[in-house]
Amino acid sequence: MAKHRGFGISSIEYPTGMNQNGDPSQAWIKVKPDGRVDVFSGTADIGNGAKTIQSQIVAEAIGVPYDWVTFDNSNTDSSPVCTGTFASRATFVAGNAVLKAAKDVKQKILEIAGKEMEISPDDLEIVDGEVLVKGAPTEKLGVADVAVAATWTHGVLMTGTGAQLNEFAEIVDPETGEVSGPPHAAISYAACAAEVEVDDETGDVRVLRLIQAYDVGTAINPSLVEGQIEGGALMGLGLGVLENSYPYYPSTDHRGYSIGSYYMPSSEDMPSYETIIIENPSADGPYGAKGIGEMANNGQPGAIAAAVHDAVGVWISELPISPELVLRALEAKAEPRREGKLVAFDDEKSVNTVATGISWTP
Amino acid sequence: MKAVGARLPRYDGVGHVTGQTQYVDDVRVPGMLWAKALRSPVDHAAITRFDTTKAEAMHGVHAVVTWRDVPLLEFGHLSALGIPADEPLLAKDEVRYKGQPIALVAADDLATAQAAVEAIEIEYENRPTLFDVRKAFDADAPKIHSWGNWYPHFEGEMDRRQIRKGNIDEAFDNADKIISGVYRPAAIEHVPIETQIALAVPEPDGRITIYSCTQALYFSLGVVAAHLEVPMNKIKIVGGTVGGGFGGKVDTAADTLAAIAAMKAARPVKWRWTREEEFLASSTRAPWHMEIIDAVTNDGWILGRKMLTLHDSGAYARFSPYGLTKHSFHHTGAYTIPNLHFDGYVVFTNRTPTTAMRGFGVTSISFAVETHMNRVADEMGFDPYEFRLKNANRINDTSPNRIRYTDPSSVDVIHAIADAAGEELAPAYAAATRDPREGDMLPEHLVGQLKTEGH
Repeated sequence: MAKHRGFGISSIEYPTGMNQNGDPSQAWIKVKPDGRVDVFSGTADIGNGAKTIQSQIVAEAIGVPYDWVTFDNSNTDSSPVCTGTFASRATFVAGNAVLKAAKDVKQKILEIAGKEMEISPDDLEIVDGEVLVKGAPTEKLGVADVAVAATWTHGVLMTGTGAQLNEFAEIVDPETGEVSGPPHAAISYAACAAEVEVDDETGDVRVLRLIQAYDVGTAINPSLVEGQIEGGALMGLGLGVLENSYPYYPSTDHRGYSIGSYYMPSSEDMPSYETIIIENPSADGPYGAKGIGEMANNGQPGAIAAAVHDAVGVWISELPISPELVLRALEAKAEPRREGKLVAFDDEKSVNTVATGISWTP
Repeated sequence: MKAVGARLPRYDGVGHVTGQTQYVDDVRVPGMLWAKALRSPVDHAAITRFDTTKAEAMHGVHAVVTWRDVPLLEFGHLSALGIPADEPLLAKDEVRYKGQPIALVAADDLATAQAAVEAIEIEYENRPTLFDVRKAFDADAPKIHSWGNWYPHFEGEMDRRQIRKGNIDEAFDNADKIISGVYRPAAIEHVPIETQIALAVPEPDGRITIYSCTQALYFSLGVVAAHLEVPMNKIKIVGGTVGGGFGGKVDTAADTLAAIAAMKAARPVKWRWTREEEFLASSTRAPWHMEIIDAVTNDGWILGRKMLTLHDSGAYARFSPYGLTKHSFHHTGAYTIPNLHFDGYVVFTNRTPTTAMRGFGVTSISFAVETHMNRVADEMGFDPYEFRLKNANRINDTSPNRIRYTDPSSVDVIHAIADAAGEELAPAYAAATRDPREGDMLPEHLVGQLKTEGH
């Protein structure tokens, strides 16, 4: 009876935006009389940091300090359409909408500034809340002064709108799955390595270490990217070794009734993390960003399963990799069925064994 | 200072960690009633008797909402995409999962609402249950829906999602080894700190304001307006700050019934699910049944893949047809496999309906494909890094849908973890890039699948 260390890897991909696209996000922006910026977006913040990310994009695109930006996603009267916060779309799809709105309102600011400074808007830029003449940065006017002029001199409300809609990819041939165009806004890639310790007496699997690399395109906010990667990893660990909604399946009894009666990861389950952010900018994301929110819990279970095999020599092909499954597999020491060039694992779970109404030919 | 790329603190982080952020449950309005649901205690049954008279007559009870009070009883989450509705907002004649809502009571306080729920007279006639997706096709399988046990409305009125690419028979003939495996991840819970909740407030101007925990404000607006058969300007959804959402709050769970109860009672109504309801009746991540068979060569190429997926939708479709389609589009993982034969079914069971959860449709694939890749590597004596690098997506490779990969970074991320793990790769693999295939990385079987332009 002993504890065994094992190591395994996985590499994955994940699309950004709703599958087949066709999922709009829209935003509008207005400028207060002192130059502060109000963003109205319909993107819910589910803990992913959508408010922060979209505010950073707006601040960057207009050229004003981040703390000038107020973000309002509070209701459907003031905020335009956003399909929602899912499908890893909040940074990429909704981020593109606020980026367009920000560029739009920036142009309005430059037009008013051009009138005030008697210079073409094309020769102006905005840096840190000040409108500067390109190449002659000493000639400048604060965005706050532009907003005052717009409100009380020119009688103009400076606003911007933006909408992002990636074309719906129709399934043109349901026999083959052929589509009319790209069914995703972008694809992100990641790889994961897991080191585990397996106790061959109790069947307990502990994930000790996760090395994870994600191509995020551009990290709009590296701290939030790390939060997604490391928080997502713990969800992947729960899926991999702990959680089960139906612990007495096929009975629907004894499902959790309190958080204490459902096995999900807690702080003691947290492995050591090595998180590698790769920035390979996407062609059409805001500032090159991609969306990695969801894929952050996809890579761990496969890497953990391989690490368990490396540790104790058995393949577990069900989740969660519970002590019971590990002990049963150690006892069975099952070998795949080998016939000619066929190597068949898990025959006993196949529809060919279990069902009469559907079959499947290797 | 540049805003993009800066490690700025979370916009609303201080509010969250100091308890000052206002979530739906923090909103209290004068005259507010509390709601409780009558939920099915059984997995599958006909409702043979249903009488709310006693509950309605109780002191302190202001509304008992049943299916008769819902203007449009069935509205599918994917109706806009042409996917027919199959789930009543409140059960009518039958229940298909334990926890399915049947009635909602709005009363002065929670205890009165609960007492009224218990005063509803209802009788069930149990029906046989189905929990194993593999057995859903058997001749003697219990019937979950009148039209059958699996979803029949894919494009072309097909009853499954198919992918076909290349010449699968030739790939299997040419393989040195054919390796199969079966992968079954379990259903898991979302467990948001904030359980499902809604507060619906009738306004003086005839509108309804709904304080919602939705992940998708306009989605809820559309769903509520459709069930109520009112234009969107009669409803205002207030939200945007969610106490944890991992897909389970994309479905509109509490908003519509809270609104109907508020209209019937002409009072504000809050419906807050208990933790037990959240576990029993809110959607889970789907359990999946996946069978993969790969045609592999001794020199480390995957020539073809056959795959069968049975996606356990639980009792109703919700987003499952969407999830299965996404699953099918990604069933090769991060690798380029030119010959494919995929069949997937959305199968109904008496589980709580499953729905979107972080990685919807693809989390399952990632586990199945990656475990299978590691098994194949182990069986064939391949290095798991090199086997992956060889088959990894490159620029100009094509997806299962014949879409050109323009920006794959699988090689980069594999190199990154190999470096961090101190893994020494053979020079040919250490030098691999994501650039279009050529030389040893462009074997004959991959030539035909390349695209050099377009999508």
